[in-house]
This record gives sequence, C-alpha cells and structure tokens, in this order.
Amino acid sequence: MIGSSGAKAPPLASPLVRAIARNWSAAFLLLMLVVFSLATPNFLSITNAQNVVHLQTIGFLLAAAETFVIITGGIDLSIGFVMGLCSVSAAKLMQLLMARGLPDATTVVLASVVVLLLSLLPGLVNGIVITRFKVPPFIATLGMWGIANGIALKLCDGFPVAGLPDLLPRVGNGYLLYVLPGNFLSFFDKPPDFPDARIRELWRLIPFSLPFIVAVLGFLAFRLSRTAFGRHTYAIGGSMDASIRAGIDVDRHLVKVYVLSSFLAGIAGVFNVFQTGIGNYTTFNASYEFFAVAAVVIGGASLTGGKGRVFGSAVGVLVLAFLENGLAISGVQPFYRYIAVGVLLVFAVVVDKLFPDLL
Amino acid sequence: METAKHGTAPGLAGGLRSFLGGRWVVIFLVLEIVYFSFTSKGFADFNSVQILLFYGTQVFLLAVAELFVIITGGIDLSVGYILGFASIVSIKIVNALVVAGLPVPAAIALGAVATLIVGLVPGLVNGWLVAWLKVPPFIATFSMLGVCHGVSELVINGVYALGMPQMAADIGNGYILYKAPHLPFVFFTPPQVARRTPVLELIPNIVIVAAIVIAIFAFVLARTRFGRHIYALGGSMDAAVRAGIPTKRRILQVYALSSFLASLAGVTYSFMYVSGKADAGASLLLDAIAAVMIGGASMFGGSGTVGRTMIGALILAVLDLGLRMAGVPTFNKYILVGVILVLAVIVERYLPEAQLSISEERK
Repeated sequence: MIGSSGAKAPPLASPLVRAIARNWSAAFLLLMLVVFSLATPNFLSITNAQNVVHLQTIGFLLAAAETFVIITGGIDLSIGFVMGLCSVSAAKLMQLLMARGLPDATTVVLASVVVLLLSLLPGLVNGIVITRFKVPPFIATLGMWGIANGIALKLCDGFPVAGLPDLLPRVGNGYLLYVLPGNFLSFFDKPPDFPDARIRELWRLIPFSLPFIVAVLGFLAFRLSRTAFGRHTYAIGGSMDASIRAGIDVDRHLVKVYVLSSFLAGIAGVFNVFQTGIGNYTTFNASYEFFAVAAVVIGGASLTGGKGRVFGSAVGVLVLAFLENGLAISGVQPFYRYIAVGVLLVFAVVVDKLFPDLL
Repeated sequence: METAKHGTAPGLAGGLRSFLGGRWVVIFLVLEIVYFSFTSKGFADFNSVQILLFYGTQVFLLAVAELFVIITGGIDLSVGYILGFASIVSIKIVNALVVAGLPVPAAIALGAVATLIVGLVPGLVNGWLVAWLKVPPFIATFSMLGVCHGVSELVINGVYALGMPQMAADIGNGYILYKAPHLPFVFFTPPQVARRTPVLELIPNIVIVAAIVIAIFAFVLARTRFGRHIYALGGSMDAAVRAGIPTKRRILQVYALSSFLASLAGVTYSFMYVSGKADAGASLLLDAIAAVMIGGASMFGGSGTVGRTMIGALILAVLDLGLRMAGVPTFNKYILVGVILVLAVIVERYLPEAQLSISEERK
C-alpha cells in the first residue's frame, strides 16, 4: 500500500478533494451534528453530547480492538461475547468475594484485575489457533464467539448478575464536576446534603468515562502510529510476505494483536459492570462485533488490511452513535438506524475504492 | 503441512490418515448418534429423527445458501435477517390476500410465492454490490443485514407479525402421512379419531419441501455448468475470467440464490410458528456457517459440497437435540459448536484428500 503510490501516475483529484475523502467520516459527522442541531431543539446540549459519548465507551473500546485486528488483515468476531463473558464473570466474582465478607472497594478492585487478566485468554487462544493451526481469523474467532457466549450463559444461567456493591454505578456513572449555577461547585460527587429529587438542576460535567476513554484511545493511537508495534501491525496487513522477509516475527505479533483485542473487550466488559451495576451477558442481536467492524470501516480502514487509524474508528463510532441519538430525538423511528448503517458502510467502501492510495 | 497435503505418507499412520480424510465427518456423526442414544433417554427413536429434521429445516436451508456463497470465496452475513424479513413479509402478504377476499389456499400459495420473489431483492443487491461495486462480501452483506433488520422492524413497528389462516399452521406443522390404528394411511389430513389415540405421523411437510429444494440445488452444484462455474471462480477468479465465465453474473446469481433459500427458510418459519419477527434467524448464522465449515468447505472458496454440508448441519442438529433430551442447558451447545467448528477446520488441514482444492493464503 505504501510503496504503490510512487509507481502510479500522480493522483487526479485535487488535494482538497483528497483531504475530504480521507476524512469524509469526520465531515459527515460535523454535517450530521449541524443538521440535527438545526432540526431538533433538544439535540444541541452538553448533557446530550456527554450522554452519547459516555454510553459509547464500550463502542470506542471494541472499535479500537477491531482496528488493530483489521489493520493486520484479520477480523475478530468474538469481542462482543468476550465482553459479555468478562462482564458476567466480573460480576460473579464480585458476588463470591462479597459473600466472603470483603469490603466493597477491595472486592471491586480485585475482581476487576482478575477478570482483566482472564480476558487475555480468549485472545491468546484465537491468536494461537490462527497462527499455529492456520485457521482463518473469521472461523477461529467465530468459534470463540460461540465458546465465550456459551461460558457466559453457563456462568449466569441466562440471567443478569445483580446484587453487586452500590459503589459500582456511582463510579461508572460519576462525573468530575457537579455545579449548581451561582451556588456551589463540587468535585467527584454531589454534596451529601443535596436532595436526590433536585439532581436534575445540577450541571454534571465530564463523566469519569471521558478522560478514561481519551487516555486509552490516546495510548493506543500512539502505539499504532509511533512505535515499532504499530509499524509491524501495518506492515503485516500491507504484505504478509514482505513482513516475513523484513524479519518481523509475524506469528508472535499476530498473537499479540488478538490478545490486545480481547483485552480491550475485557476492559469493555468490566466497564459494563461499572456502568450498569450488574453483570450482563451479550444477547444475540446486540451485534457488538458487527457495529465495531462498521465503525472501523466507516473510520477509513480497509478489510483487506494495512489501513486504519484509532481515532478514525472513534469517529466511526461517533457517527453511528449520533445518528441513532439524533434520529431518536427527532422522533424518527429508531429502526432507520440499521438501514443508515448499511448505506454508510457501502459508501465507506466505495470511497475506499475511489481513493485507494489514501492512508 | 506440505507433505501432509500432497505426499501419501507410507505406513499405518498414513493409511489411517487417508482413510479418515473425507470420512471423519461421517464417523463423527455416527459416534455422536451412538453416544446420545446411550445418554439421552428417548433419543434413539424414529420420532426424534423427525423432530430433528423438523426443527433443523431453517438451518439446513441457510447452510446450503451459505455454501454457495462460500464456494465463491465470499460470505453472506445477511441470511439470518433475510429469514426474519421473509417471515414477516410472508405473514403480511398472506393476510392481505385473505382480507382482499382470495380463498385461503390461493392466498397461502400466492403469498408464499410472492415472498420468495420479494426475497430475491436483498440477494440481488448483495450480488450487485459485490460483483460490480467490488464491495467486500463481508461489508456488503453486513449492510444488507442492517437494512433487512431496519425494514423488518419498520414493517411490523417493532412487535411480532402475528396471525395466519389456520391452514398455514396445518401445513407448517402437518405431516405427509398419517396412520391411526385400524384405519388406512391418509395423506396430509390428520384422521378424526378420539383424543389420545396414538396416531403415527410420518414426514413433516416442510421437511419434504426443504429436502426437494436442497436436492435440486445439490444437483445444480454438482452436475450443471452453473455449478462448475461457481467452483471455478471460487478456485481462481483470474482463471475463471480468462476461461470466459461471466463471473459478475454468476456472483449476482449466487447471492440471489442465497437470498432465495433464506427467504424459503423464512416462509417455512412463518408457517411453523405462525409468527414473524425481525431477528427470527439471527442466532442461526453461526450454525449455518459452522455446518459449511464442518462439511469441509474452505473459507477461501473453491471447495465444498451440499452432501457434506448437510452432514455438517446434521452434526449440529443431533448435538442440539441430544443435549436438549439429556436435559443439558443449551448454553453448552454454543461452546461445543465453537469448539467443533475450529477443530473441524484444523482437522481438515491435516488430513489428506479431504480438501477439494487447496488455497494456502498464508505461509
């Protein structure tokens, strides 16, 4: 991909057109925000924007996971159910630890750490099956799709796992700043004497999830664009043969990428427990993995590998999220969202075909 | 790897391997049936065979749909939601025709045919996107999944599509032959006997419909020029183009065919359950792809047969029913399907003569 542009005739399109084509999803996002802001009075507000971004934390994590895998030319279909598995097992573990009489904070921290470590396993299995046994990524991760789903349902008997420490949703849905205009400003929690009934008068600013997700995505984007790990990821997706000849340990690197993917799904699962306060298994029609792939492709990646950016995928997630949110607020039936995703995806691929040498 | 594929390794191990190659799926199926016959009460019974085929109908049809697409080197993620879409369309059209005053049998027949025609549309769009716009099959059919999901929910406003003439339910849940004690065999209509009289019911209607359709497509794939073209373009697109095969048209036809079979599965669903819903087939996608893979097809295209795919689907159906009858929660099924799927692909790689064609993408 990188080398091919030099051999070709200079591109016909002007730099401006190419810049728009490269960032069309961001342009589309802006356009959509403007249209929804003008069309519906309730769309343009800090509260709404915060809610959308907060609720998409899982989407961002899964899309970032899928970005790395797709750049290598693979696909990871298991992330949605690995997330559900981690959510359920974190919740189950917390129940166990609580029953032992551990304090809430210890319970939560211990369970989260253990589950994050366990979340490396599905990726390790995926990576070994793909590299050692040469099973196509689609099949290997589809197998893990079934396995993770089955284990999650087995653990929770098909019901969400409730009865966890109250601490969880308070942290997961907390804000950095609580402001009552002209009255007070409080950090991390509302003042204890402030009545719950009046909570809507408060300005709640910057959900904890925001700095968290910015940090995670920033770190991943740095790894992908500035380190050897990232260069190897692009190289493998660009040409497997060339990477082998260049001395990259391709198998080892691919295992790392699938482990990273499942680890990010694990973070998403643990976050899910913090956000909802219960352990949720992933339902069949949730299609987390497909929406993650959609976001990554809308964000400019190519399923053939070698292309993609972490923040591009994040824009893809925002496009899908604000589309759903904007439609819902303007009273359009939410089902149009599914159709819109389909149309956007095809559009993304057509742009990719028209400008094949954009990176 | 290389020697395992080409060389016929001498000695007992090599002989065993070449014996197992191509046969291990059948052996696995037999072992599975024997195992469940001992562990699940009532499994080794003629009736459970009928039940297995009856509830497996949709997966069988979707697996054949997926097989055609996978032979071309593509994938069709939309079959599950096309099934749901068709189940809704079928109910809506049949009901509309009954309201319009058509006699019930005509309304049912016409409604089913109309649904199958409408059901071609998603496939035609898929095929056009893949063949002409060069959209990767994964993306094109995933987009169609979204569109079918959205349109289905819009048609039914987010609830179930309900209600069909009683006759549709009778067809969907009826049998071809009935035999009550002291009465002759009757076709299609259950004999009027006292309740609790044991009536022998033979061959569910929809199983026969599915079997005929699948047999036709097995013939098409194995014995016609169309079938040869599909294998050829799955094996090597370049070679197929040079051989003068109209590859774009063939790809369009394959996706239309896939969508047709998924719609047929949707029609059978609506007749069986007398209801239609958008996500009726959402969970069947894994089974359909797994059946094709267990049946030895390659994800890279160019190989796979209907017969072996059916064995793959039967392995899954037996597993499902066996676990149910043993009282094991269905959760275990997902785990086993996942494991069998991956193992099947690995085994297929290490056994000679099992692959109809070899395409080693990665070194």
